[in-house]
Amino acid sequence: MTQNKRLWAAIFLAIPLLFYIVIVIIPLFSSFYFSLTDWNGFNAAYHFIGLDNFKKIISDPNFSNATKNTILWMAAAILVPSVGGLVIALVLNEGIKGSSVYKSLFYLPICLSLAVVGQVWIWIYQPDWGLINTVLRAAHLDNLTLAWLANPNTALAAVILAWSWQQVGLAMVIFLAGLTSIPTELTEASQIDGASYWQSLRHVVVPLLSPATVVVIALAVINSLKSFDIVYIMTQGGPFHKSDTLAMFMYLQSFKSYYMGYGSAIAVVLFAIALVIISFYFRQVSSLEHLYD
Amino acid sequence: MTDQTLIQSGSIPSQVVHPHKRRRQILMYTFLTILVIIYSLPLIGVVLSSLKTTGDIAKNGLWTKPNPVNLANFSEAWKEGNGHTYMVNSFLVTIPATILSITLGVLAGYVFSKLPFPGSEALFLFIIAGMFFPPQIVLIPLFRFFNAVKLYDTLWPMIIVHIAFGIPICTLIMRNFFSTIPNAIRESAVIDGANELQILTRVMLPVSLPALAVLATLQFTWIWNDFLWPIIFTQSDRWRTIMVGLITLKGQYSVAYGVQGALALIASIPTLLIFIFFQRYFIRGLTLGAVKG
Repeated sequence: MTQNKRLWAAIFLAIPLLFYIVIVIIPLFSSFYFSLTDWNGFNAAYHFIGLDNFKKIISDPNFSNATKNTILWMAAAILVPSVGGLVIALVLNEGIKGSSVYKSLFYLPICLSLAVVGQVWIWIYQPDWGLINTVLRAAHLDNLTLAWLANPNTALAAVILAWSWQQVGLAMVIFLAGLTSIPTELTEASQIDGASYWQSLRHVVVPLLSPATVVVIALAVINSLKSFDIVYIMTQGGPFHKSDTLAMFMYLQSFKSYYMGYGSAIAVVLFAIALVIISFYFRQVSSLEHLYD
Repeated sequence: MTDQTLIQSGSIPSQVVHPHKRRRQILMYTFLTILVIIYSLPLIGVVLSSLKTTGDIAKNGLWTKPNPVNLANFSEAWKEGNGHTYMVNSFLVTIPATILSITLGVLAGYVFSKLPFPGSEALFLFIIAGMFFPPQIVLIPLFRFFNAVKLYDTLWPMIIVHIAFGIPICTLIMRNFFSTIPNAIRESAVIDGANELQILTRVMLPVSLPALAVLATLQFTWIWNDFLWPIIFTQSDRWRTIMVGLITLKGQYSVAYGVQGALALIASIPTLLIFIFFQRYFIRGLTLGAVKG
């Protein structure tokens, strides 16, 4: 009986594991290997250069710049879409009529590709007829108009804002799921006890939402680490690397400059960061299980 | 948290309307309406652009009523812009990759839920850890691999990679779903002489439609919207998927914003349709598998 079960388990797992190991795990180790070489992407030949790529990483100002931008991105990702999503979820959870229509409109951007999102936001930031500058001019604030994506001071923030626009819906979905699992008796009881809306929000609702909050924050962090598509479309990391992220920097080094050995080393660093996040997340998983019911 | 509570939340009619409660409701409506309008501006922009001629945009800017309403952008995007080729390619990648990743996830999920063996829990974590990996960590080895097997610049690498990267989320959601089906059902089928494949296909799958629908909508949307793999694995116009086609079009027609807008809308139609018709599955999938970016 057990024998039989084991055999079926092996048969069922064979193909999924084969795909996962050949396409994800072996290439992962392969990246470690290439990070120790100077492969340029074309030549069959390459040399082992030990840890030189990692030494280069430490002294490369563009790498520390991309790291700084990725950290800024994470911080913004935790703050902007999460707080936005929470506020909208709280309002929609008040049980007002027609809230499902509003809900759908906030969800909608999640089904769009980041290629489309980036394209649309380029038109919002467009210097001549973009929405922001059009509004500023109409308000006679011409001196505030900028080439938002070409300006080194605003490029990164502009890209993050566009990305956040899409992510708000995602955070809202998760917070709404968390809110529906809070029994209304609890909030009502606290209000009968004389708690104001803000007090019951702070002492009852927010603590009970913590599993959803963990998911939202984990998602924000991991999606920040993956931030590539929208940067590629809106700025390609420019101007002057001002909107480079680690994922973008890795791509540029590997597929534009053809430093594939160096690119692999950046990939290894990305993996190390992902690993820290994974271990943190898995430790939280037990407290999240009821979200999956 | 069930489907029903997710759908119904927020649409419970308010029973008693106190004056101050009413004032609060009006406030909420106003807040939500203003927010939704601002939030929808990017989408309004893309629709406006698709309906405007280049001359109209040059003269009146993007954010005015189309004058005249111009539908030629859509046919230009479809024919001269090569939209039809890109759309076909996207379907050729997305449909098989969606079906196969779910199939493999069903097999693995069934094992982890119903045929556990010593160490299967660790193997499960090993697989679902893949959800967190930024694709950059395997970019270079996979580029090398598909070049070596002469599949560079075909649709095959995208199909294969999407199957593999879909396995973690599909395994997670299917395992959690199968765990809600009592073991006694499987055991009575075993006593009736059914083997595991028969149990899976005849007993488990017929009741798994909600989970399969969740995965189908999620996987289709993610694979359709993907942008990174096609720029790594394809080069010729013949094999571009729609999201890359959208960006290439931008290069070719740097000022034909109307054509770009039309193609962006065409590119979004399949996922918008999924969103409109299967919204509840899509949203449920986002909350269940929220960890995938």
